Amino acid sequence: MLRAASEQHNDRARRFVVGMGRGAAGALIFGMPMLMTMEFWYLGFYISHERLLLLLFANMPLLVMLARHIGFEETFTWREAVRDAIIACGIALVISAAVLTLIGNLKPGMPASEILGKVAIQVVPASIGALLGRSQFGGKRDEEAEQEESSRSTSYGQELFMMAAGALFLSLSVAPTEEVILISFKMTPWHTLAMLVLSILLMHGFVYAVAFRGTHELTEETPWWHAFVRFTLPGYIVAMLISLYVLWTFDRLDDMAPTQILMSAIVLSFPGALGAAAARLIL
Amino acid sequence: MTTTSRNRHKESGEPHWLEWGTGIVSAILILAMIAWIAGVSILREEVPPRFHSTVTAVQPVHGGYHVGFEIVNEGTITAAAVVVRGEIVEGGQVVEAGEVTFDYIPATSKSSGGMLFLQDPAGREVRVRAVSYTDP
Repeated sequence: MLRAASEQHNDRARRFVVGMGRGAAGALIFGMPMLMTMEFWYLGFYISHERLLLLLFANMPLLVMLARHIGFEETFTWREAVRDAIIACGIALVISAAVLTLIGNLKPGMPASEILGKVAIQVVPASIGALLGRSQFGGKRDEEAEQEESSRSTSYGQELFMMAAGALFLSLSVAPTEEVILISFKMTPWHTLAMLVLSILLMHGFVYAVAFRGTHELTEETPWWHAFVRFTLPGYIVAMLISLYVLWTFDRLDDMAPTQILMSAIVLSFPGALGAAAARLIL
Repeated sequence: MTTTSRNRHKESGEPHWLEWGTGIVSAILILAMIAWIAGVSILREEVPPRFHSTVTAVQPVHGGYHVGFEIVNEGTITAAAVVVRGEIVEGGQVVEAGEVTFDYIPATSKSSGGMLFLQDPAGREVRVRAVSYTDP
């Protein structure tokens, strides 16, 4: 009896450690491109700390929503979702600090605000990775879910939220590089228009036309443009808003003329829209 | 509403009016963006970069004087690698000069920077002007 209890205890501890390991793997995979990008290191000291703080705060509800959405089990509560989101942030923090130290970017003697800024900016993408890692890489849960022929409903708001998370992840990883604004300067307005239309078409195609696993279907009698108006167009607007927000966070919009702002937002929405569409498929 | 079963998502056939509302608002916004950009590209003639700069602040700093300035690109084409030269002029003679390079000054936008001089610009003329740029 005592033995069974201790075995159960061991099993739980083992599962916890495995979960942490998966989270760390996810944080590494998702965070690595950004951890090894020069602009992200510099952002640590030139980004305004208020905007950074706001980004970290905005990341939290996103993580909680993701955790809640991914948690397949019906018993999964909001409390557990918040717990998972906080753990994901913790893993992301440790992993980011460890990798930045490993590549010689954090050294003793650096001002605390620089260290804080460098690590904090990495926490956002890495925490999304950690959260996905903890749940998506866990094979057992997925199999169970499939066997049970589980059926769940996502509210419209949640669906938009998922798109925001996908868009945030992709635009965040691209936005700090100089290329985004450089591309918008190289493009003529006609290029920008083509990009806008293409982004929307790709988004729709990803989710409805190309039969990926997780593809969305329409009921027979619904015409295609129903989903286009109800999901794809709002999805693009969500990606656009996220792009503007990310560009603003990284000080890319200050003193820019409105047309230039719009053009760089459209450039950043290109990866953002793909991220949003991918999020609908994967999650 | 979307229902997921066996990794297939199915959009509900009878959506809430809010979904249509959001969709229609989004459509309007996207059409407005398209109209805006198309309008810009049709109506706006191509004006090469033209710069206009103003000195905004002069203040003593450790070991010299800080001259802050703003530079506006009045053209409709973005300029890259803009070299801005600042000079303190007294009696038609340049007594001190400095240079700064801006990575980009976008079309019809503003950038700001600063220069450090050893001599006090007070009572003398300070000239700040762009001397060269490249197309991005």
